[in-house]
Amino acid sequence: MSKPVSRREFLNLIGASGGSAAVLTATSALGLLPTTAAAASPDLLNPGSSKRQVAILGAGISGLTAAYELTKAGYDCVVLEASHRAGGRIFTVRSGDLIDEIGNRQYCEFDDEPHMYFNAGAARIPSTHRNLLHYTKELGVELEIFINECKNAYVQDDNMLGGKPIRNIEYTTHARGFMADIMAKSLSGIELDEPFTEQESETLLGMIRSFGDLNEDNLYTGSLRAGYASGGFLHHGVQKDMIAFRDLLKTDLGRLLLNANEGDTGPVLLQPKGGMDMTIQAFVANLGDRVKFRSAVTAVQVKEQGVDVVYEQEGVRHKIEADYCFNCIPTHLMAGIEHNFPAEYVSAMKYVRRGEAFKAAFQAKTRFWEDEDIYGGGSWLNSPIQEIWYPPHGIHKAKGVILGAYDYGGRAGLMNLSQEERIELCLAEGEKVHPDYRSLVEKPITIAWHRMNHMLGCSARWSRNRGQGWTHEEETMYHTLQKPVNGRHYFIGDQISMHSAWQESAIMSAHWALADMDKQARATA
Amino acid sequence: MSVNRIVVFAISLLFSAAILSAEEIAREPYNDRYCMTCHGVDGRGNEGVQAPRLAGMPAWYLQRQLKNFRAGIRGTHPQDIEGLAMQPMAAKLSDESIADIVAWVGSWETIAAERTIEGDAARGRNFYSACALCHGDNAEGNEAMGAPALAGQNDWYLLTQLKNFMAGYRGSHAEDIYGAQMRSMVNTLRNEAGIINVVAYINTLPR
Ligand SMILES: Cc1cc2nc3c(=O)[nH]c(=O)nc-3n(C[C@H](O)[C@H](O)[C@H](O)COP(=O)(O)OP(=O)(O)OC[C@H]3O[C@@H](n4cnc5c(N)ncnc54)[C@H](O)[C@@H]3O)c2cc1C
Ligand code: HEC
Ligand code: HEC
Repeated sequence: MSKPVSRREFLNLIGASGGSAAVLTATSALGLLPTTAAAASPDLLNPGSSKRQVAILGAGISGLTAAYELTKAGYDCVVLEASHRAGGRIFTVRSGDLIDEIGNRQYCEFDDEPHMYFNAGAARIPSTHRNLLHYTKELGVELEIFINECKNAYVQDDNMLGGKPIRNIEYTTHARGFMADIMAKSLSGIELDEPFTEQESETLLGMIRSFGDLNEDNLYTGSLRAGYASGGFLHHGVQKDMIAFRDLLKTDLGRLLLNANEGDTGPVLLQPKGGMDMTIQAFVANLGDRVKFRSAVTAVQVKEQGVDVVYEQEGVRHKIEADYCFNCIPTHLMAGIEHNFPAEYVSAMKYVRRGEAFKAAFQAKTRFWEDEDIYGGGSWLNSPIQEIWYPPHGIHKAKGVILGAYDYGGRAGLMNLSQEERIELCLAEGEKVHPDYRSLVEKPITIAWHRMNHMLGCSARWSRNRGQGWTHEEETMYHTLQKPVNGRHYFIGDQISMHSAWQESAIMSAHWALADMDKQARATA
Repeated sequence: MSVNRIVVFAISLLFSAAILSAEEIAREPYNDRYCMTCHGVDGRGNEGVQAPRLAGMPAWYLQRQLKNFRAGIRGTHPQDIEGLAMQPMAAKLSDESIADIVAWVGSWETIAAERTIEGDAARGRNFYSACALCHGDNAEGNEAMGAPALAGQNDWYLLTQLKNFMAGYRGSHAEDIYGAQMRSMVNTLRNEAGIINVVAYINTLPR
C-alpha cells in the first residue's frame, strides 16, 4: 500500500490550487478544445506558369492529400507509388485482393459482397479527427458509426475462472462495484479531515455510488447491470451471482477494458461505408492518371532549384525533374534509396524505429455472435491474438468478416510464425471464447505489418523510452526531419507527427508542409 | 506532369513480366524478387532495416546463405534479431527461385558501402592477420575456404555478425558447417572493442 494522501495533496487534487481555469487553457493550447471553427483545407496560391511541377512519393493518405490540394491550386502533380495499390496502411481487403506480405503472400478468398471486407490497417475514425472527416465530406465518402465496444462480448484469460469466458458487462460491472466500494470507504476517512464541504462530499458519494451501483449502505453486493440470471421482462429480473474481486484480479485485462473506450478511441468512432479505403479510392479517382502504380522510387536528388526523382516502372527507369517533392515513403525504406540528404537529416531518418502490428481475419459462415447478443465491438483475450472484433456493418446478413487477432506490438507471438501456425493459433484461442469457432470460420488472412512490402512497419516510433515521453534529442531530430531540404523536399506522413498511427496525423503533416511551401511561394511570387 | 518531362534514361531488362492493363489482370501477380524493399535499391544495403549490401556478392556465398536461411540453419536463434527478420523471407523460396534470384543479384553493380564506424584501425590490423588466412589479405573473400568478401560490405552489418558469432547467435546450429568455422575464429577478437577495431581496419582496405 502506498502512503496515504496528505490533506495538501487532496486540496490540490480537488482544485483548490491550480484550478480548472488553468486546466482549460492548457487543453485548448493542445488543440483539444476548439479555439476557432474548423478550417481544414490549406489555402494555396496558384503557382502561375513557373515552379509548378511536384513529385509526390508514395500514395499514402498524406501523399494523396498533398496531390489533391496542389492539383486544386493549379500545380502539376505526379504521385509515384511502388505498390499495385494506393493507400499504404489504409488497406481494405476484399475478394481476390493480393496481400503483399513478403515471404507470405496471400490472396483473399472472401465472398464477393460489399459488406465482406476487412480493414487490415486503419479501421477507426475518431470524431475529433476533423481534417480526415473534412475530406470524407468533401469527397462524398459515406460514413457510418463504428462500434468499438459491445458490453456483451467476452473477456477470457486462462488464469481467470479456469479459463471460462465471461461477458465484458459482468467484468466491468463487478470491477466498478468493488472499486466504488473502496472509494466510498476512503471518502468517509477523508471526511474526518474535512477537505470537502458537506454538499461536495454528498455529490461525490452520489457519483461513486452510481459508478459502482452500491447499495444504500455504500456497499457493493452485486448489480443487475451485469445481466439477469433469469427474467427481466415479464418477470422480475434475477440478479446474477457475484464474481469475487480476487478472481477478477487474476487477469490484467481489466486495464485494457477500462480504457478501451477513452481518449483516441472514445465514442464516437466512425468508418466509411464499404471499407476504410473509400477515402483513398475517392482521392485516386479525383487525381486520375496522375497516380502511377508499380512505380518504385529509386533515387532522390535535391538540387539548388528543385528535386530530381528516378523511379522504376516495369523494369524501366524514368527520371522526373520536379520543382518540389513531398515524400511519404517510410524513412526506414528511404534509407535504402539513393539520395543526397544532409547528414543530420539522415541520422534522424535512421533513428526512427518501425513498429510491429499484426491482424488476422476470417470469413464467418454465419453471424454466430449475433445469436449471443453481440453486435460490433470485440472480445478481449489474454493471449497472442488479444482481440476478436465483430463487424459493426452487415448486421443480420448471412455472413460477416471477423477480426481474428489484433496484436499491436509487445507480444510478438504471432508475427514470426508461418501462415499455418498463425491460423492454428487464432483458431485455438478463438475456441476459448466461442467453442465452435473452428467450424464457424473459414478463409483466413493474416497481415504482419512489419513484413508488408513497401511498408515494413505499422507506424514510426520516435520515442525510445516508452511511456516517458520524448527526449530533447528526439524532438530536435523530429524538427530536423520536418523541415524541408533546400525548401524543396518535404518528408510527410504520420512519421512526421508526434502522434503516429493515425490518418489524421498523416493529413496534418501534409497540411504543415503545404503551408510551409506556400509561404515560400508567396514570398517569392 | 507532362509526359515529355519524364526522361527515360536507363532501360534495365531485369523483369520479364508481361505488360498487362489492370483489367486484364484478374489477380495481381507476384514473383519472389522482393529483396530490394529491405536490401535497398540495387541491393546497396539499408541500415534502416539492418539488411546488408547484396550487390557484388558472389553466387556461391549468396546461394549458401539463402539455403541456410531456408533450412533454418541460419536466422533461427531467438536472440538473432536481424537473422530472424531474414529467415522467413527465404523460407518459401524454391530451388528455381533461388537460382533466379542469384542470377538477378549477380547482375547488380557492386556498390561499396558507406563507412559509418570508426575505431583503432592499427590495432584492428593486428587482429586481421588471423582473418586473412580465410578471407584474403584484402578481405576480398576466398571461395576455396568458403569465406565471403568483407571489404566494401556495410560495416554496421559486419559488426552485428561478429557480435552474433561471438555470442553464438550465428554459427551454432549443428548443421552450420561454415558458420562453425567462423565461430571458432571470432574469439581471437576478444571483445567488442576488438570487433570494432577489426571492422575499422576492414574499412581501410581497397574496395
Ligand atoms: C494495424 C494498423 C491499424 C491502424 N489503425 C488506425 C485507425 O484505426 N485509425 C487511423 O486513423 N489510423 C490507423 N492507423 C494508422 C494509419 O493507417 C496511418 O497513420 C496512415 O495511413 C499513414 O499514412 P501515410 O501518408 O503516412 O503513408 P503510408 O500509408 O505509410 O504510405 C506510404 C506509401 O509509400 C509507398 N512506398 C514505399 N516505398 C516506396 C517507393 N520506393 N516508391 C514509391 N512509393 C513507395 C508505400 O507503398 C505506401 O503506399 C493504423 C495503422 C495500422 C498499420
Ligand atoms: C524483411 C526484410 C528483408 C527482405 C525482404 C529480404 N531480406 Fe535478406 N536480410 C535481411 C536482414 C535484416 C538481413 C541481416 C541478417 C543478419 O544480420 O544476420 C538479411 C541478410 C541477408 C543475407 C545474408 C548476407 C550475408 O552477407 O551473409 C542474404 C544473402 C540475403 N539477406 C538475401 C536476401 C534475398 C536474396 C532476398 C530476396 C529474396 C532478401 N534477402 C529479402 C532482411 C531482408
Ligand atoms: C577458418 C577460416 C576463417 C577465418 C580464419 C575467419 N573466418 Fe570469417 N568466415 C569464415 C566463413 C567460412 C564464413 C561464412 C560463414 C557462413 O557461410 O555462414 C565467415 C563469415 C564471416 C563474416 C560474416 C560475413 C557475412 O557476409 O555475413 C564476418 C563478418 C567474418 N567472417 C569476419 C571474420 C574476421 C573479422 C575474422 C578474423 C578475426 C575471420 N572472419 C576469420 C571463415 C573464416
